[in-house]
Parts: sequence; structure tokens; C-alpha cells
Amino acid sequence: MHTWLVGVCDQLQNIRLVVWLVTARYAYPFIQWTHFTGLSLWLGTTLALDFRLLGAGKKFQTAAELSDALFTWNWIGLAIAVLGGFTLFATAAVGYIDNPAFRLKVGVLLPLALAWHIFVQRKSRTWGRAPETPTVAKLAGLMEIMLWVSVATAAVWIPNY
Amino acid sequence: MPRLCEWLEQIPWIVTITNSAILISLVWLVHYIGFFLLVGTTAVVDLRILGAAARNQKLAPLAGQLFPFAWTGLGMVIVSGFIMFAGQATTFYPTFVFRIKMGVVLLALIFGVIVQRKSPVWGSAPSVPAVAKWLAFASLALWIGAILAGLEVPAFIPV
Repeated sequence: MHTWLVGVCDQLQNIRLVVWLVTARYAYPFIQWTHFTGLSLWLGTTLALDFRLLGAGKKFQTAAELSDALFTWNWIGLAIAVLGGFTLFATAAVGYIDNPAFRLKVGVLLPLALAWHIFVQRKSRTWGRAPETPTVAKLAGLMEIMLWVSVATAAVWIPNY
Repeated sequence: MPRLCEWLEQIPWIVTITNSAILISLVWLVHYIGFFLLVGTTAVVDLRILGAAARNQKLAPLAGQLFPFAWTGLGMVIVSGFIMFAGQATTFYPTFVFRIKMGVVLLALIFGVIVQRKSPVWGSAPSVPAVAKWLAFASLALWIGAILAGLEVPAFIPV
């Protein structure tokens, strides 16, 4: 399995376009840019809803209204982040699949955080009807913030290996 | 200014943070999450003004809800950004792209403040005025530009 995966990664990072992206001096930041622009949309809107579930900004909107307002650009953000993230991965795929921080991020924390996000987003329609959110919503929001912070922590730690 | 940069680099707690892999990673983490909050929430307000987000909702309450998150993000970005800058001040300060980045961020913040102050007025009008759309577009473009400029900084720092 591992040998096969290394083979796939090796092919991926030798695609002409990918090789060009790595060797052209100022190109690499553009891939990071895609990833970070997507992440700003994705995590900015995700964390905003979590903070609203925790009770921030009660006088303006209910959590259900905010969730509805953010929904579309939340997922557009994820799509952009994934596109940039996959390209970043492709530039050094062989190194990444053996990086413990990357494996923890993509293999464990990211799927967990994503699943939890879908759950929280769906539930926010019922939890967020009244200005005051129930305790379970606050806990769920706090949990999601911690999950994404852990994803980001693992990501920041990747270059240290 | 170069003297001030040298002095910043030698502040003991700045040296401690810069030389510790764990502490400096924590500072980067705060910087990233701060600007995700700042840019993500500002972008949604801009997109709402442009008519590309939450069209079934009024602008004023949405802006009122999101701007406090944006300013919280800004606070995180400033504190962490200062520590990142101070640790390598003599390298960052003369770097052209770094100066561009700070200029773009400053402009984006000015537009952000204008949009925040005006959104209750724009929000109560029957349709969003054209000037609001131009300002929102500029704000969006500036923040996306600021991210790119920020990421280009390391590529322009001589090794």
C-alpha cells in the first residue's frame, strides 16, 4: 500500500505543470495564495458561526440567520482551499505523505473537523431559532473551534519535520 | 528606523519567542486564524453589498454581526504580526514586498472602516448605492491582494 502510494505521489509531483510551479521562483506563493484565500472564506465564516453559537453578537441576528447568510461562501471557500491545498500537496507529495504532522492533519483532524462542521451547520437551523442558543449549541460551537485550531496547529507544524 | 529595528530584534522576550519552534509556531497560528477571521467576515459583507451573498437578508444586521469578528481578527493579526516583524525587523523593514504588503493592508483597513460606518445607511436605502459597490469591490480586491503580498514576502527576502 505504502509503495503504491509513494508511486502515485511520485507521478503527481513529476507532472510538468507541477514541476514548473515549483521551479518558477514567484509561482509557489500563488498556490499558497489560493489555499489561504479559500481558507479565509472557509474558516472566517465557520468560526463566525461558532462564535455566534457561543453567544457573540446576539442583538444582531439569530444563529440560524447567520448560518443561512454564510452557507454559500462557506462552501465556496472550502472548494478554493481544497484546490489550493491539493496543488500544494502535489508540489512535494512524496515528502508530505511521510510527514507525521501532515498525516495527522489530513488523515485524522481534517475529516473529524469537517464531519463536525456539517453536523453543527445542519443543527444551527434548530439551535439558532431564538437569540439565546441552548447549552448543547455552545458546546458544539466550542468543540468546532477547538477542532479547527487543532487542524491549523498540525498544518503550521508540517515544516518542522 | 534601522536602529529601532535592531533594538526590536534584541528585546529579550522577542528573542525567546523567535528562537523557540513551538512559540513562533503559536504566533504564526494566531496570525493565520486572525486573518482568516478578518478577511473571511469582511469578504462576506463586501459580497453582500455586491449582491453576491445573502441576498435574502438585510445588510445592516449582517454587517453588525460580522464586523466585531473582523476587528477581533485584526487584533490577533496585529499582536502576532508585530512579534513576527520584531524578530526579524532588520530583514523585513528594507524588503520592498513587505512595504507593499503593509501599504495594501492599511488601504484595505481604511476601506473596511468606511464600509462598516456606511453600511447602516446603505442598508436602509431601497437599493445599495453604486458607490457602495465600488468600495466593497475595492475592499475585497485589497484583502485578496494583501494575502498574496504577505505570501510573497518570504520569496523576496534574500537568503
